[in-house]
Order: sequence, then C-alpha cells, then structure tokens
Amino acid sequence: FFEKKLISFLFCLNYTADIISTVEFNHSGELLATGDKGGRVVIFQQEQENKIQSHSRGEYNVYSTFQSHEPEFDYLKSLEIEEKINKIRWLPQKNAAQFLLSTNDKTIKLWKISERDKRPEGYNLKEEDGRYRDPTTVTTLRVPVFRPMDLMVEASPRRIFANAHTYHINSISINSDYETYLSADDLRINLWHLEITDRSFNIVDIKPANMEELTEVITAAEFHPNSCNTFVYSSSKGTIRLCDMRASALCDRHSKLFEEPEDPSNRSFFSEIISSISDVKFSHSGRYMMTRDYLSVKIWDLNMENRPVETYQVHEYLRSKLCSLYENDCIFDKFECCWNGSDSVVMTGSYNNFFRMFDRNTKRDITLEASRENNKPRTVLKPRKVCASGKRKKDEISVDSLDFNKKILHTAWHPKENIIAVATTNNLYIFQDKVN
Amino acid sequence: MEFKLEAHRIVSISLGKIYNSRVQRGGIKLHKNLLVSLVLRSARQVYLSDPCPGLYLAGPAGIPAPPPQQQPGEPAAGPPAGWGEPPPPVARASWPETEPQPERPSVSHAPRVGDEVPVTTVTGVGDVLQGGEADATEAAWSRVERPRQAAAGEAEGPAGGWGVFPEGSLAARRPCGCPLGGEDPPGTPAATPRTACCCAPRPAEDEPPAPPAVCPRKRGAAGVGGGPAGCPAPGSTPLKKPRRNLEQPPSGGEDDDAEEMETGNVANLISIFGSSFSGLLRKSPGGGREEEEGEESGPEAAEPGQICCDKPVLRDMNPWSTAIVAF
Repeated sequence: FFEKKLISFLFCLNYTADIISTVEFNHSGELLATGDKGGRVVIFQQEQENKIQSHSRGEYNVYSTFQSHEPEFDYLKSLEIEEKINKIRWLPQKNAAQFLLSTNDKTIKLWKISERDKRPEGYNLKEEDGRYRDPTTVTTLRVPVFRPMDLMVEASPRRIFANAHTYHINSISINSDYETYLSADDLRINLWHLEITDRSFNIVDIKPANMEELTEVITAAEFHPNSCNTFVYSSSKGTIRLCDMRASALCDRHSKLFEEPEDPSNRSFFSEIISSISDVKFSHSGRYMMTRDYLSVKIWDLNMENRPVETYQVHEYLRSKLCSLYENDCIFDKFECCWNGSDSVVMTGSYNNFFRMFDRNTKRDITLEASRENNKPRTVLKPRKVCASGKRKKDEISVDSLDFNKKILHTAWHPKENIIAVATTNNLYIFQDKVN
Repeated sequence: MEFKLEAHRIVSISLGKIYNSRVQRGGIKLHKNLLVSLVLRSARQVYLSDPCPGLYLAGPAGIPAPPPQQQPGEPAAGPPAGWGEPPPPVARASWPETEPQPERPSVSHAPRVGDEVPVTTVTGVGDVLQGGEADATEAAWSRVERPRQAAAGEAEGPAGGWGVFPEGSLAARRPCGCPLGGEDPPGTPAATPRTACCCAPRPAEDEPPAPPAVCPRKRGAAGVGGGPAGCPAPGSTPLKKPRRNLEQPPSGGEDDDAEEMETGNVANLISIFGSSFSGLLRKSPGGGREEEEGEESGPEAAEPGQICCDKPVLRDMNPWSTAIVAF
C-alpha cells in the first residue's frame, strides 16, 4: 500500500468555528459527515467523477449543513447538556433519502437528508408563491407539473431518542439488521429500534450498586458488522467484552473477554490511564477488531482473547512525557482509529497534526501531517518522522517541539477507495491516493 | 525520594483536576474523574510506601518547609486552587514566616487565630468532627467537596490558586516519611497503624481516620498555609498556620510540628481523595465513603454539579461553603 502512498491530495478545508468532534463516511463513500462542538452537522458529497480527468476522483463539496443538537439545560439537575456531536453513524441507503444518527451526550436523533430538485407548478387553487386564489377567478383547469429547480438539500429530524441515558453517551452503533442500534454511555448500553423512540432496552449495565465501588466505565461499543446478535464494548481498564444478545436479555456477563496482561516494566502512575481504550472498531470482515489506547493500536482476533495479534506503537516517544501530558490534560485525549476498506491498513491520529498508518501485511508504517502550510493540492504528502531522543536529523521533528494543541482525534477511511478524511481541530482534510 | 516528590506533585495536580471538573460545561465527566482518581491512588500509594525518614518539604498552601531543598519558588498552593483565591505568590516566599506553630488541635477547633477564613468555617467542621467518625468522614468529605463547589477556572490556570498547585511539588511529607495517615488526632489511641509511623498503606488500617483526616482539611480551608493539600481557603493567605486540630505527630515525627502538620494535612488529603472517587481503594477510614459517592454517584444522583447536594454531608458543609462560595 505504501508504495502508492498518498500522492495527491485534494483538500477541502472546512473552516468550522467549532471544533470537529466526529467524522464518518456513509456506506458508499459518496457522503462524508462531520459533527462539531457547536452541534452542527456538515455533510460533504463527492462530485461525480469526471471520467475525462482520469487521474482524480471527485472532490468533496459541502452538500448539507444543519443544526443537529442545541444546548440544553436539565433543570432538575442544574446541569447543562452540551450540544457537541459525539458520534454520527449512517444508515445504509434504502431509498432516495439518506439517513444518519447523530448523538450528543444525552439525545440521539435520526435525521433524514433528502434532495429536492423539482417543484410542482401550475396549481389551480394556489398562486406560485403559495397564496390561495379566489376560486371564482379560476376559469380553466390545468394539471400541475414538476419543474426542475435548484437542488435543495433538506435535513429533517425523523426520530428523537431521548431520556435514556443518565451518563454521557460515547457511542452509537447500528446493527447489521438495520432495524436496531445501540447507544452506550459510561455505565450502560441500550438497545433501540429505529422506529420506536419511547422505549429502549438496557442490555449492559455495569453500574455498581454502590458507586463507591466503581472501577471502570464503558468507553466505546460497536455491533459486529455481520452478526446481528454480537457486539463489543471496551472499558477504561483496557478490556474488551464481546457479548451475545442471544445468551440473555441483560448482557452483563460477557461471552468473551479480551485483555492483555500489563507489562510490569512499564508501570507508572499513569499506567491505568494510558491503558484505557478510547475506540474500538470491527474490521469489515468481522474477524478482527481494533482498539486504540493512548499510545498504541491493537488488533485482536476474535478467536483469541488473551492477547492481541498485532500491536502498533503510535507515538511511543510520549511514554516518558506522561506526567506532562497528564498536567495539560492531553493524556485524556480520545483518539479514534479506522480500517481501510480491505482491512489491510489501519489509521489513527496523533499530535502536531500528525496521523499514522500501519500496513498490516508489510508491517510498514508511515507518519503524515495534515496542514495547509506543508501541502499543496495535488502534491505528495511527505512522510514525517519524530526524533525521540538524541540527535535530530534534518527534517525530523523533536518530541519537545511537537504541538500538543494540534491533535488529530478523528479520522475516517472511505469504505471502498483510498480516500481518507482527517480532522484537525478546526479543519477537515481529505486525501486520496493517485489514480494512475 | 524523587518518587515522593513526584507523587506529591501528581496528587496536587489531580486534585486540581477534580476540583475544576466541577465547573466543566456538560457536567462532570465520569470517565476522566475516574482516571484521575486512579492516578491519585497510585500517587498516594507511592507516597505511603516510600518511607523517607526525615524528609519533608513544604506543604501545600504555603506551609513553611524547613527542608533546605525546598526551593523558594515552590508553589505554596494548598488544596486545589478552587478553594479560594489563588495563594498569593507571596506565599511561596513567605514560607518561613508562615511557619505554623504547631498547635495541638483541640477537638473543639478553636478558631484558628488569624484565619481569614470565616471562623465559622472552622467551627463548622469542628462540629462535624466532634460527631465522630461518621461526621468526621463527612467533614472530610466536605473538605473534598470544597474544591468542587468552589470550582472555578481551569486547573492549569492560576485562577483559584490552582495555578500554583500543579507547578510545583508541594510535597509535604511527614518527617518520618509517612505522609499519609499520620494525621492521627492527638491522643487518639486507635490509630495504631498511624502511630506505627503510618507507613503502612492506609487500606490496611481501620482507624478512625475521620477526625484526623478532617483536621488538615479544615485547616486548609481556614486558609492556613500548609493546610491539606489544596485548601487555601478563600481570602486566606499562606501566612496562616494550620492548626493541628486533631493531628498527632506520627510516630517518629519528632520533627517540627509544623512540618508534621503539613505532611499530615497532605497525607490526609491524599488519603481522603485517594480513597474516594475510584472506589478502588478500600474504604479508607478517611471517609472513603462519601467522597466516592460524591464523585461517582454524582451523575447518578444529581449530575455533576450537584453531586454533593445529595449527601447529608453537605449539610455540614455550610461553613465551608461559605469559603467556597467566596471563591
């Protein structure tokens, strides 16, 4: 894969005033949705390929923007509910409209995004502007017809799933049955039916009877891509539990527990923090799952629970800086990870606007940077290298000069092609490899 | 030794984070606070398990620290900044002046002389303390809560005095090197483990931690320098000297009372915090109960902003809340 590299990049700079909080391609890859801290969703659409220009695929342009969530106030608890969009998940397309789920800390919404490119004209009883005509002035009849109009993309909330979570929602995942989905907060996972908003089933509850005994929280959850009865959830302790909904109504007892014993030589004050899993993603095949903790990415074979089959160090040079990272809160950053369409490459973000890719077959890895200064459209992305210690070579960057305010937490990979979306704090970058 | 310094520093930072999490928009983040409490526990364990006889540093909140290695610039920040105004920078330099004359705390908690913090604060807690372990626990809890209620500003920022906090090693150790748990109330026989230089990890003990635990806190709130880590009471200057209200020098604490006090305070604070939040710690006598509940059950009971409100302990916090509110 890295032979091709990312040799041309199209970038789409999205100057959101707010911080981008989630990025997700739809099932075809034609649409890319981003959510931000201000509760807004911006959807980009890939231009239909211009077959003449064979060396590039379509660019992504803004397709629709809408306000998904507003800040709310829970009067009972005197608590403000942030409007930040934590996750967006697309439903597979069933008709002309597109549907996605977006969630903030407390409420999940199903949005319908539909196009309108024609409008009816020629009503008998209405003027074109909508005013009603006096029936007595109608002397002839005509049949209204559809006439083309400028494309209008409308987003409307079709379902609102609220009041089911006491704690902050961190994940939503649509089942492969395309009828149900799960939502997970720190302590509970609920199962919903997409059509039913007034009810959800609690399928995991790890809240202890005595909160003083709380030792771990749920950090992410996802349905298996093929088995509609299987899902996993990760914890702050670095474990992943796989549950089978057929086993019982309440899946508190896991079917499988994935955990790697800690390396005692790496023990520090912050061992527990850095082992907390920030993201879990099944491979497209459903055979593997990937987890992201603070310093590494691990690939697990669902058939082996006692250790991952592959481990990739994202930025091991940070291990000696954990105390500083704790002070400035960076150690709590929740990085996401993603698979490419063929499950051969995984990608995740880092600091200094770097992001990393690991080729599982060749075991090669690459560090790239998402920044405007260093990249012009259609130029090859230059690999970066961080110098952990000692002499810094030319073009290397020393650990101490990394900018920890520039972090890439959210990345997404097109389901079919080598197009990636990388979100820095305020900007969205889209890269693709050259089609030769 | 470095471990203790580091541990102390980490404790300070952690407390600051917990404190500031109270004012975060969207409510307290359970996950983050759980992680912070884990760090707190680790740091505390290191603190406890690494005896360094004769080693002590200036405590937080400006407790003077005789130890020569104490840099003048060491932040004197006591408990989480949020407790009150940021300890004035002068605090740092003024450690020598702030040398608290160790006073045997009387359970009645005579108002600390010179405390700028409303005396009621102290007495309030004192009353609580009198109540026995449970009360003391509550009081301790209230102290824990203080930072939360007085939440303000960013942890890293100088606001609320936290700024001092993370920056330096506010190590306050017991002279005997048993930082935590040495806070036995004077004359408290029960604190056997304590007397044993409290080097043993708290968990093993079942002592009545509450009173002693509370004590340092209170002092901190009273604005006395050297109060339990993170308790610069609003309006207080580091010049205050902590009252050793229920504090008993740890066995082997033949050192300055002041120092012991400081370390005791810090130790108490650490033990209090450490035993709470995560629930991972065995219920420390220091009142693990309330704290954890406060922290974890917060979202459940009444969302972060109101965690404490559900607790009976809160009723006893009024004097403290004055201080906090003042912040």
